[in-house]
Amino acid sequence: MKFAYLLSSSTPVIKKYKASAAQAVGTVVIRSAGGASGQMSTSTTTSFADSVGLCVDNGTAIGGSLTYSTTQGADEAVFGVLVNPDAVLRARMVTGATGTSITEDTVATAVSNGLTVVGGTSVASPDMDEGMIWFTSGSNVGRSRKITSTSSVTATVVVPFPYASAVGDKFCYAGVNIGLTGVTLTTDLKDVRADIAVSTGASATCIDLELGPATDSWVHLVLADNVFKMAT
Amino acid sequence: MSHLLIKKEWTRESILAAHEAGGRKRGRTAGGWVDELAAQKKVITLCPLCTGKFNPGKVGYRKEKEYPVCIAKCDGCSVTDPKCSMYIYSELYSQVRSTAEERRESARRRQLGIERGHF
Repeated sequence: MKFAYLLSSSTPVIKKYKASAAQAVGTVVIRSAGGASGQMSTSTTTSFADSVGLCVDNGTAIGGSLTYSTTQGADEAVFGVLVNPDAVLRARMVTGATGTSITEDTVATAVSNGLTVVGGTSVASPDMDEGMIWFTSGSNVGRSRKITSTSSVTATVVVPFPYASAVGDKFCYAGVNIGLTGVTLTTDLKDVRADIAVSTGASATCIDLELGPATDSWVHLVLADNVFKMAT
Repeated sequence: MSHLLIKKEWTRESILAAHEAGGRKRGRTAGGWVDELAAQKKVITLCPLCTGKFNPGKVGYRKEKEYPVCIAKCDGCSVTDPKCSMYIYSELYSQVRSTAEERRESARRRQLGIERGHF
């Protein structure tokens, strides 16, 4: 997960906070729980509750790794955090808990009116309804539409794709869309899973999508439950 | 005029104290503190008065240019300044920053894919 830009076009704010757990660069950090040792802790694949910002530091000390420790004499784990509540974070979309790219599906039944896309795998479970679908090959390559309903392997759209789909055309779909809150992350907390139903998981709201190849599609997110906003 | 150099004896307590965040500590030179942050690959923020004394290329750092200033506590003089420069360790830069140039490259690849009929 990377810092891309600020909604308010203002200036990044960098703070250095004490950790109460191991942290990794490029991940969202959250406020420490009451009674915890430090000021921030690690988010999870499904929760950004009380997020503080994006960790922009590496946990590396001179001569070795800097890890969180409660041992007397050990280095204190302090990390740089970008704390702007309006920071837009750009995350790659992938499939699977440790995925590296979105799994492409293939058109199994040609559709001439462009109102449905019939693939080989289910789009109803997990439910991609309200998510996005886009073609990565064929006449409709690069075209995307919002999914308005799903049934088994069929995704329905309201605004038709401009061309008929043909058997063998490749397409991708993702359970994210503009204005929807909820993403599920990979286990390294850096990428967003496209194969999870919409509005599921950590409270981050989608503000933009870059829909391209299965290996190079991105989502832009704003943290929805940030401790520095007026209400969390 | 002659100067007397007295070697400073570091204690375990003073070494641990020096590792605290929040700018350089009393008795430490600003350059030494920043060098230590650089060795730890930390993000370094320096105010306009201190930034000229830091050579990012020499220690493998990259200056954030898309956002020329940031609000932070200067790692040199410990003053919170709204016009700090931000330096990120080069190897970590691509993990924490998505620049317009990177997004432009992605868009160009998508455009090429559309032109040839597949991504």
